[in-house]
Amino acid sequence: MSHPSDSRSAGSVVLLVVALLTTGCASVTQAPGRGGTLSYTPQQWRQAKPRADTTLEGPGTTSGIVGEQGAERTRQALLESIDEVNSSLEGVESALSKLATRRIGFDGRSINGEVLTRFLHHGSKQLTWIRGALGSATSLMDVASEVEDSAMRLGVLRMTGPRLQSAMFGTLLLATWVDFLQLSDALLRECFMCGVEKQYVDLHRVRGLMETPLAGLASQDPDRVEAAALAMPELMGELTREFNALRSDGLSAMELGGKVLVAAQVLEMVTLISSLKMSLPRLPPAAPATLGVGLAMSSGGVMAGSRIVVSAEWVEMMRRLVQAGVISVPAISAAVRIHGGQVMMAQGHQDLPKGVREALGDSPEVRGMRVTGRAGAGMSEPPRHHVLPKEHREWFEQRGFKGDMDIDQFCVRLEQAHHEAIHGGGNWKLGRMWPDEWNRRIMRTLNDAELAAGQKLTRNEVLSIVAENMRLYDIPMKFTKGRSR
Amino acid sequence: MTDGRSWQGDWKARLYERVRERGFDSLTAFADARPAVPLYALAEELGKDDVAGVQVLTGLRAEAERRKQVTRLVRDLLARELAAGLPNGWPAVLDDVTRFQVAKALGLWSGSTPEAYSERTRRVIVALRANPPLAGWRPLGPDDELLRKLLPDDEA
Repeated sequence: MSHPSDSRSAGSVVLLVVALLTTGCASVTQAPGRGGTLSYTPQQWRQAKPRADTTLEGPGTTSGIVGEQGAERTRQALLESIDEVNSSLEGVESALSKLATRRIGFDGRSINGEVLTRFLHHGSKQLTWIRGALGSATSLMDVASEVEDSAMRLGVLRMTGPRLQSAMFGTLLLATWVDFLQLSDALLRECFMCGVEKQYVDLHRVRGLMETPLAGLASQDPDRVEAAALAMPELMGELTREFNALRSDGLSAMELGGKVLVAAQVLEMVTLISSLKMSLPRLPPAAPATLGVGLAMSSGGVMAGSRIVVSAEWVEMMRRLVQAGVISVPAISAAVRIHGGQVMMAQGHQDLPKGVREALGDSPEVRGMRVTGRAGAGMSEPPRHHVLPKEHREWFEQRGFKGDMDIDQFCVRLEQAHHEAIHGGGNWKLGRMWPDEWNRRIMRTLNDAELAAGQKLTRNEVLSIVAENMRLYDIPMKFTKGRSR
Repeated sequence: MTDGRSWQGDWKARLYERVRERGFDSLTAFADARPAVPLYALAEELGKDDVAGVQVLTGLRAEAERRKQVTRLVRDLLARELAAGLPNGWPAVLDDVTRFQVAKALGLWSGSTPEAYSERTRRVIVALRANPPLAGWRPLGPDDELLRKLLPDDEA
């Protein structure tokens, strides 16, 4: 062991380094041209849970989210958020490609060396699906802009939710993964006491931690995406602890080799791109300053102490998406907590302070809206009904319901129907009349409309007619993805 | 009526309670007093937040069956769909926009009629396409002359 005095001085050097890093990121936070928003963090949208009991227009129809103007505001907010995730992703991509293209370390001691390069590939693989999700959100947005029926347009806009949310949280996780890669790379190149085997084992373990959430996000299934998003603060807490431990291991190893100053420099080289830089505790002896610093709303945005976590513009963008039902308050709260580095606290599942939640658009109506994938505790998930009958998949394919717009995207859940059917109460016939009555009626309506037109309907015309039928049946235009067979 | 609330509770009881509150003893009487008013508007009048158009339709159908006046109802529904989809009457020119307006109104009408009528509704659609009504045609109820010609009563 080194002398106590050595260890103290190493501690304070590291403290200084971390302080510098923190300062560095504060300036990123306020980088010009990004409207003061965080450019590297996934920001987040949509409520993944379909809300069968929501109003068609969404919460508080008075808030003006319906109609041309409301839809346009929602579209604008979506556009901005997609842009933002895209630019975060570019940052991550460039860090990843820097790692990949650096000269391979002596004796293969680098992340792009023979043994560890698989971990780099793991990162590239995530990039691919995240790009796909963003592309898909963008094309849905384009489709939505052509839909005439405003409620249906909002319904289609909401379908971007799970895609955007998965891209945002996926980008956030990927950035974190890249930070782990950067740390390993730096340690391998500079610390000859740090073994390749240990890096392999460590990275393997970290990859394992991320595996389930990444798979959930990549699935783009609304429920799995939402679950992954809600579990993210806790996961980020765990990853922060891992990162911290690996960094400490590296430091100790270097100190053992008598390279205290080099150790500090090595850490300095690792410019963190993920939100880890927000959540990493100051190394001892400093108290973990971010822990216990509450988040508060100010005119500049959400603050953690004196630092802006997310800008007021970002909050406003999210508020629009929350109110349009594109993203959920819990998911957005998870994102804010991660941005704020508030991931190490035991009260991981606690809500944000009221002021912050309200700024993000939380309200009793919005809360009511997100009730929902499940009819109640212990009850099974309500069945998803295809609005466009799956027995006629081909018919719809011929009219443009393919890819991001295939008929599986247009499912609704009639939770209440299920609930009351089980209890034998109520008079709910909607769930029970499905699928026969609905399917026959919708196909008859569409076929006879074609007969009257003397030609095939376009996709938007089909949607317009379907929207009218959903209105007739009082079925909220909250779509969820259903199973294809 | 956009949040599924119309399906909570005993909607049939609610529906008839509202009809009675408005001084009618049947949905048919309520609807007859509002000829060529779209279904959604009837539903809104009976309960803006908790009555669905299809519930009104279901009630009207049940009553028409009891009264053996289903064909009359089918005509009545066509007048309502045309009023909703073609408020200015039958279009003078069929372009992409008006062709779809006609198609949508007729399709929705067909979908709202009993399945036993599917052949007849299709024949009406074909007839309307082959011999379009005069521009501006807007049936004001089930007794419209052209409607009666297209869908004559045949019930006992």
